[in-house]
Amino acid sequence: MPEGLTGSLTQLPVADILTMLCAGGQSGRLELAEGSEHGEVFLRGGMVVHAITGARSGEAAIGEILRWKSGVFRFQPQVMTTSVTIDKPVERLVADGLREASARDAVLRVIPSGDAVPRLSVEAPDGPVTLHPHEWQILARIDGRATVAELAAAMRCDEFALMEMLVPLAISGLIRLDVPARLATARITAPAAFFQSLTTAVAAAMGPLAEIIIDDCLDSLGATRETLARQAASTLVERIAGEIRDSEQRVRFQQTMLQVLRSQAA
Amino acid sequence: MEDGLRELGRLAGVGGAFVCDNAGAVIVSSTPPVLATGTMNTIGREVAQTFAAAERAGWESTRAEFAYDTWRLVAEDLGPTVLFVVCEEDVEMPLVRMTIDVVTAAWRKDSGVRKQLARQRATRSAATATANFDDVSRQLWRLIESVT
Repeated sequence: MPEGLTGSLTQLPVADILTMLCAGGQSGRLELAEGSEHGEVFLRGGMVVHAITGARSGEAAIGEILRWKSGVFRFQPQVMTTSVTIDKPVERLVADGLREASARDAVLRVIPSGDAVPRLSVEAPDGPVTLHPHEWQILARIDGRATVAELAAAMRCDEFALMEMLVPLAISGLIRLDVPARLATARITAPAAFFQSLTTAVAAAMGPLAEIIIDDCLDSLGATRETLARQAASTLVERIAGEIRDSEQRVRFQQTMLQVLRSQAA
Repeated sequence: MEDGLRELGRLAGVGGAFVCDNAGAVIVSSTPPVLATGTMNTIGREVAQTFAAAERAGWESTRAEFAYDTWRLVAEDLGPTVLFVVCEEDVEMPLVRMTIDVVTAAWRKDSGVRKQLARQRATRSAATATANFDDVSRQLWRLIESVT
C-alpha cells in the first residue's frame, strides 16, 4: 500500500476501502471528508479499532461515514490511536454499518433535517391511537414553532434519536412537518451564445453532423442545452474535440473554443 | 516555447509550466519558476522514466496526470522532452488539456522549437539506465523487463 493513498469516494466506496485495507492487514489512519463533514477511521493489523466523526465515535461513526457517497479519502500508514471503540470483524462492521446507514436514510426521507418544524395534525387519525409514554412527552412539547433541533435540546436528547421517534408519529398522520424552503441555488447555465459558437465550430470541423454530435455529447454528460452548467462547458468542448479524428481540425476547433470559453469566463 | 508556457500560465488555476529533457534538465520554465530547480529536475527525470516504463509495459501514452493532496501535475510527452504544467487542485482540467494540445501543436509546426528540441541529447533509453534509478525503481524496472 503506497504511503498517503488518496482517492475519491465516488470511485471507491467507503465499504470497499475498509475491506481492502483490512484484507491487506493495514495499520494506520483513514481520513475522509465529504463537504464540511470530516471523519477518521483507525486500523490496527487489519482490524478497525476506532472511528470518529463529529460527535459520533465507534460504530455510530462508521454508520455515518458509510453514508458518504462523494468526497475524498486519504490513508496514512502507521498513524495510530490509543482509543479502541470498535471490536468487530470488518465484514460485520460494514454490514451493520450499511444497515444503520439505510435506516438513517429512511428516517431522513421522512424528516429531512433538524430545521423541520413539527405540528399537530388538525385531521383526526383513522381509528384509535396508542402512544408510548415518550411519544406523549414529545406531542406535549410540540407547539408548531419549535424545530426538531430545538425540541431535542429542550428534551435533552440526541437530535437524530428524536427524529427516529417522530417518524412513526408522522407516518401515522398525528403530526405534520414544515420543512423550511431552501433557497434554490442559482444554476448558472451555459448561455445560448456559447451553443451558437459551438455549433459553428463543430460544423467547421465535422460538417452537417454538428448538431447530432453536440446532442450526443450532451447526452453523455446527462445534460441538455438548457441545463448544461456553465462550469461543464469546457468538459463538453473537450468531449466533442475527442470526436474529431483529424488532428489539425481538432486543434483548430480547440483553439476557437478556448477563445469562446475565455470570453465567457470574463 | 516561452509563449506557449505563458499561454498555459494565463489559465486560472495554473501555477506555471516547464519543459525538461529526459535526464531532468530544465530546458525552459515559466517566469518566475513555479518550482525549485532541483524539484523540477527530479520530476523531469522520474516522469521520463515513468513514460519509458509504461511504454515498455505496453501502455504507451503521451500524457500523464498526477493528482496530489493540494495540487495536480500534468505531463505531456514530447519525445526528447516532457512538458509539465503545475495546477491547483480545483483547476478546470479540460481547459488545461485543450490548451496543452493547442500549445504543443504550435510547437510541432515551429521550426525554431523543432531545432531546440532536436538539440536535446538525453534519450529516453538513457533515462532508464540502471545507474539513474533509485533502488526501488531499479527493482520495478527489472520486473517490467522480465515480464515483457
